[in-house]
Amino acid sequence: MASKSRWADTEEDAELVAKQKREKEEKKRLKAEKARKAAEEDQKRIAAAQAQQAQAEQQSQRSPNEPPTKRRRLTPDQDGGDKTEQKGGKDSEGGGSTGESSAKLLRFEAPTWKPTASVENYDKLNDIEEGTYGWVARAKELRSGKVVALKRLKLDESTGGGARAGLPETGLREIQILKDCSHRNIVGLHEVVINEAAATSQNANRKEPIESVFLVLEFVEHDLKSILEDMAEPFLASEVKTLLRQLGEGVAYLHAHWILHRDLKTSNLLLNNRGQLKIADFGMARYVGDPAPPKLTQLVVTLWYRSPELLLGASTYDASVDMWSVGCIFGELLAREPLLQGRNEVDALSKIFELCGVPTEETWPGFRRLPNARSLRLPSSSTAPAALTGSMIRAKFPLLTAAGCQLLNSLLSLDPRNRPSAADMLRHEYFRQDPKPKHEAIKAGQERRRRKETPNAPGRGQKAPASVDFSGIFAGREREERGGGFSLRMI
Amino acid sequence: MSHMTNPLATVEQLYGRSTLNALPPDLQDTIFLGMQSLTQAAGLLLRLPQSVTAQANVVLARYWVTISWPFVDEFSDISAASLFLVAKLSSHPAIPRDLCNVYAYLLSPLSPLFRPASEPSLPSKPDKTLYYLSEAGYNETYARVLALESRILCALSFDTHVALPHGLAVTYLKALDFLDVSPPARLAQRVVAYLNTALLSPQLLYLTHQPSALAVAAIYNAAKDLDAKMPECAWWEVFDVDREELGFLVVGMRSVEGAVRAGREETSAELREGNMITRAGIETEMRKRGMVLGKGASSGGAAAQLTEEDILMRSLDERADQMDS
Repeated sequence: MASKSRWADTEEDAELVAKQKREKEEKKRLKAEKARKAAEEDQKRIAAAQAQQAQAEQQSQRSPNEPPTKRRRLTPDQDGGDKTEQKGGKDSEGGGSTGESSAKLLRFEAPTWKPTASVENYDKLNDIEEGTYGWVARAKELRSGKVVALKRLKLDESTGGGARAGLPETGLREIQILKDCSHRNIVGLHEVVINEAAATSQNANRKEPIESVFLVLEFVEHDLKSILEDMAEPFLASEVKTLLRQLGEGVAYLHAHWILHRDLKTSNLLLNNRGQLKIADFGMARYVGDPAPPKLTQLVVTLWYRSPELLLGASTYDASVDMWSVGCIFGELLAREPLLQGRNEVDALSKIFELCGVPTEETWPGFRRLPNARSLRLPSSSTAPAALTGSMIRAKFPLLTAAGCQLLNSLLSLDPRNRPSAADMLRHEYFRQDPKPKHEAIKAGQERRRRKETPNAPGRGQKAPASVDFSGIFAGREREERGGGFSLRMI
Repeated sequence: MSHMTNPLATVEQLYGRSTLNALPPDLQDTIFLGMQSLTQAAGLLLRLPQSVTAQANVVLARYWVTISWPFVDEFSDISAASLFLVAKLSSHPAIPRDLCNVYAYLLSPLSPLFRPASEPSLPSKPDKTLYYLSEAGYNETYARVLALESRILCALSFDTHVALPHGLAVTYLKALDFLDVSPPARLAQRVVAYLNTALLSPQLLYLTHQPSALAVAAIYNAAKDLDAKMPECAWWEVFDVDREELGFLVVGMRSVEGAVRAGREETSAELREGNMITRAGIETEMRKRGMVLGKGASSGGAAAQLTEEDILMRSLDERADQMDS
């Protein structure tokens, strides 16, 4: 064969190989002999032990140094047998057994599959929400008493032609992605269950259609949107930081695993009583490759969080659409209300340009080639005043530090290539500056109620950096479950 | 890690089908081979990438170990549903009408897929009505595919994740500097061929071994075939595969070709309706072998009870089918 691999012999190798081969054979022979001898010896030893055993039993007395009879009888027997077997097995397998297979191999954890269980294993406690996002309820697992969230998958979805398309791929993708994810900032999926009739008919090998599919999710108490709406005062700067960092860590995990969320917004960010943020609702999410596949749907992301390139009809996009949403959420955490509340696509785009400036060929090269940009009527870059093309973010958030402003500005870059990746974002100066990100901490329901009665809520963000600092230092040493109060001041 | 690992079948699943009332193993293998070949052929005709079709093969195999005789669904429908499901979740969805058309063609007597070499070749002017699928026929097929899709999902607890070894194999080839072996890409081609062939293996190799082991075994086989010199040391350990596992897979992969050849020849005409093996064909074959359900297990005990239950279910199914049609 003409093929020459890197491992092929050169002439000088041949001699060496031959030598090695001789040595190996010699070794093998010696080993076989040794094994045989060992086996013989073992046998002899066993025989001797047994004989001794019998003797000992007859005499029914033991010398004090000897271990108890039971052990003496069993151990050599097993050991000897196993050893010879192993050796014999290896040698009989033949071939150049190098005898160096002591390497530690990585063993993959292999899950299995089993029929889907029935929803009757759960006891519904109360509805959480019923609306555009489907039906979600709080429920208790009957077996363990664990409280979970049950999310019902919408099955009546139909495709453009009106013909039934079976189970919706969005729901199936959500299940698959959540199954593959395991991160503290991403909501956990325990299992998927179906209606009783379908579950039992599965086991009986009969036909019974699935009527409903439920996702059994980790139960998280709040969502960020309702917290923001109910708050009397905005988050402290340190609290914004810790929330944004957790969001960044979750998004970084998703992007590192080739997942685009495509619907990041405050109502999809859950917060538990310990201040842990969890990304939820993966109904829009999908796996992508690098480069991202062409012809992705543009109808993703809730309007207020949708990036300008999506609004302009880009069908090839990447993780930067999620980063735009992160920017919108950052602004919303600061302002307590959604940053860009467009009434429709056009309004959304004009609000974006109002805040971030009108794009020019310098700030966003090539944006005019996007499908919907043709109908766009913008002042030409040469005549446009600087005030129109400049960003208004600094003016809108006067209390934000320079670093924070810079981060928000970069997240809300019109040109998707200028937005930082989630990993870049986490390394940003903003998270290292004072006030340090406040540590997540226990915030039990009772404490919250007590706090509500107390008239003096903590001061505004940047007026109390010292106290914030302390909790940060504190938290560095403690585990997350402890530490000072995480004050989501709720009504 | 999920990009490199697969769920594996349990011992119970693998041996569960060799119980008293199960089909004889040779028939099981024939059915499995038929379904997998059919899926591959349909994937080709639908112009799906092999990554999608291969995933469908694995999903089908996973479903296969969860079902047992008597089968509720036609084998060709199982193949179509697996392919439809996996394609739907990929970035290459299959249009339902296309899918049904392709299966109608592949199951028609004109399809060359399962035609033994001995049979006469296609007439020069094929009768197109033989694989024409009417609107009603399409609706019927599609409804069956959708019903099966949800059954497959239920049986797999909605886990459709499949990690394929193909990408890993290329990485390993690169790591071993095998990609420079002349003529270029020949070794890689051979490796991919082994991996794709293993999808058909009646030993269900993709359900018993992780992708890394499959990739290493395919490289080992390909290098042996092309006389490419491999490292002297236990290089497979670098890829976390031990010697025993490798040995098993090497033999397993090499045996597929023989199994396929044997399977093709053995598949007698009665087993097939048109081309693909059908439930009816299997029943006829069982009767011929004197293994009709209930007849075989005349002596009492659990076996008889089981079969009685099966017969009852079977007759119910048949009645339901009659009412349907």
